[in-house]
Amino acid sequence: MNSSNHTELVHSIEGVVDALRAEGYVCGEQVGTAVYLAHHLNKPVLVEGPPGVGKTELAKTAAAMFKLPLIRLQCYEGLDEAKAIYEWKYGKQLLYTQVLKETLEDVLQGAKGLADSVRRLHEFGDIFFSEEFLEPRPLLKALREEQGCVLLIDEVDKSDQEFESLLLELLSDFQISIPEIGTVKARSVLPMVFLTSNNTREISDALKRRCLHLYIPFPDAHLENRIVEARVPEVLPSLRAQLVAFIQALRDLDLKKVPAISETIDWARTLLILHADRLDADLVRDTLSVVLKFQEDIETVSAEVPSLVRRALPDAD
Amino acid sequence: MENTLISFISALRNADVRVSPAETLDAFAATNLIGYGERDALKRALWLTLPKTSDEKERFDRCFDRFFNVDAIEHRFETNDESPSHACSSLGQLLQSDDSAGLSLAMAEAGQDANVSSIQIFTQKGLFTRRIMERMGLGDLNAEIAGLRDGSLADIELAQRLIEARDRLRGQIRDYVEREFLLHADHDGRRLREEVLRRVKLSNVDRRNFRHLKAMVLRMAKKLETLASQKRKVFRRGHLHVPRTLRSNMSYDGALFELEWKSKKINRPKVFAICDVSGSVASYARFMLLFLYSLEAVLPHVRAFAFSSHLGEVTGWFEEHDLEEAITRTLKTFSGGSTDYGQAFEDLHDLCLDEVDHRSTVIILGDARNNYGDARKNLLQTLYERAGRVIWLNPEPRASWFTGDAAMRAYLPYCHQARVCNSLEHLQRLMTDLVKLGR
Repeated sequence: MNSSNHTELVHSIEGVVDALRAEGYVCGEQVGTAVYLAHHLNKPVLVEGPPGVGKTELAKTAAAMFKLPLIRLQCYEGLDEAKAIYEWKYGKQLLYTQVLKETLEDVLQGAKGLADSVRRLHEFGDIFFSEEFLEPRPLLKALREEQGCVLLIDEVDKSDQEFESLLLELLSDFQISIPEIGTVKARSVLPMVFLTSNNTREISDALKRRCLHLYIPFPDAHLENRIVEARVPEVLPSLRAQLVAFIQALRDLDLKKVPAISETIDWARTLLILHADRLDADLVRDTLSVVLKFQEDIETVSAEVPSLVRRALPDAD
Repeated sequence: MENTLISFISALRNADVRVSPAETLDAFAATNLIGYGERDALKRALWLTLPKTSDEKERFDRCFDRFFNVDAIEHRFETNDESPSHACSSLGQLLQSDDSAGLSLAMAEAGQDANVSSIQIFTQKGLFTRRIMERMGLGDLNAEIAGLRDGSLADIELAQRLIEARDRLRGQIRDYVEREFLLHADHDGRRLREEVLRRVKLSNVDRRNFRHLKAMVLRMAKKLETLASQKRKVFRRGHLHVPRTLRSNMSYDGALFELEWKSKKINRPKVFAICDVSGSVASYARFMLLFLYSLEAVLPHVRAFAFSSHLGEVTGWFEEHDLEEAITRTLKTFSGGSTDYGQAFEDLHDLCLDEVDHRSTVIILGDARNNYGDARKNLLQTLYERAGRVIWLNPEPRASWFTGDAAMRAYLPYCHQARVCNSLEHLQRLMTDLVKLGR
């Protein structure tokens, strides 16, 4: 597997799923289809789903799988073009004007009249607004990447509406307009774009229209089992089944924040360190804070731990 | 196959999944890549390109399963081996051949011929069933059956079998038409009902339709919300806008002479909603309050007042309880008593005149029927002078504004705007204006 034959990886959907698994990302065919279509149609993918189901991880794994660099843009409120697309190197620009002022005398020497001076000034190249002084930010960097790259625009719902509009040009045409210079187009290889959203705010229709829309729900027991197996292979299969069953049961409870896959994995690692080989009520109660992030939730669950554990142990008694 | 996809997309639209032409093109590109060979793969590809919210995805699933229905016609033609006769008509041969797939295909083709996806109302089901049967060659088959009946014993036997097969086929075609109807027609009359409900006077709406109206209000509010929040500006005071500062100071040799700030203001209007909740206008107040408070995300500073004989603030209820409960409470508490606008304005002055300023929008909903009491228009005048806008919403048609005990003539000079407001459509227009003010 090297970068030159990565296209072979994606000749079929199964190929994509297998390749993702080889990188440690276990997913269903739906996710595979999304990556497959994104690659072949050159479409950005908008990934939605509850927190912690591996939305960001998908982009990272795709980058690893295609052996491409990952360029990440974390969105937050107030993110603007100066931080996402480009910025001018102001300090250097100011120095440049100073230098220019000093050379001005040489340039204008012997000029006859104002018109002549202006003409000479025009002939003298002006690089004030040029690529020299351009500081590329993630989006521009992604477009200029020669070999292509994976661009991850993380938590796009955290950004402002204006920023979404800024993205539209990039997502539909893979180009960015810089008023002082012109339009920057992507190199021959288009970047592969992933956007993630936690749905804290409705993403605009215009943005959704330009993307493939992938919704990743919490995995079912079987898939989650396989994910834990891939991520924490040292955990005994029997314990793995138990802890997955326990987590699946937790998700049915009325909690402030239900545990996500990342929490399952953390928990599996915790249990591994504690050398546990099966779940019991005390162990669960002691390690509950790994899985649940709110005191209220921990209190709610604590009372029910024994019955939940009993249900998670099908072979007990 | 292209027609099938287009037809599927129109079925999706009918099921309230919004599909734009751009997405249609994406779907085509995706299906070209995936192919139609495998149903699940096709479904996954379309699932990524067409529906864009989890709600739509759910509807997509249902629609897909119904549209790409895989139970082919179960068809078996029972023959006893002794009968050597064979049908001659094309449909007869098809029925006799035990070819389920062929029969399904013929049915689908005939369906497309008969334009079955244009079905609109359920009474057309029989018509389309008949048309499809005819396109499949019912005429010839019937003629053949009639001919066979006069023939030998074997012929009569065959005729009998053909009749049975034909009737079974009719049932299957009926099912097929039924599915098409559910996919393509406005089967529960929702669109028609919404069209009507938008226009009808709110006081005439039946109680049982409140539920639908509420859903519509919420949907409209949601739409307005996205419209408005797209225009929202971030408020940041005291941040230097470096690019703009440098650019504007080019002319001073790059010396930072004039500073540019990143200050953008959100100008969210304060809304004071004053509702007459006496019997005649109560149902308008209900929907206006519902609409107003559904827009909480864009209009966060809404204060609501209700009155008939005296006025009181109900904002607190809307903060504590859910919408429905708060509205019921409001109506119950204030709706008794005869309307007295003069008293209401006086109460309003005592309550909150100080808080009305040039950024406030005052909405008064009422018919101004003051039971010949003192209109106290000077009170409205003070309000008018302080507030940014005073909007009077009158549920009555303009022609009856000045008749009988209506005090509209006295109030009209002190309103920036007075409009008729008696349907959901009117309300929607008002809310759009309010939200636009916030930009």
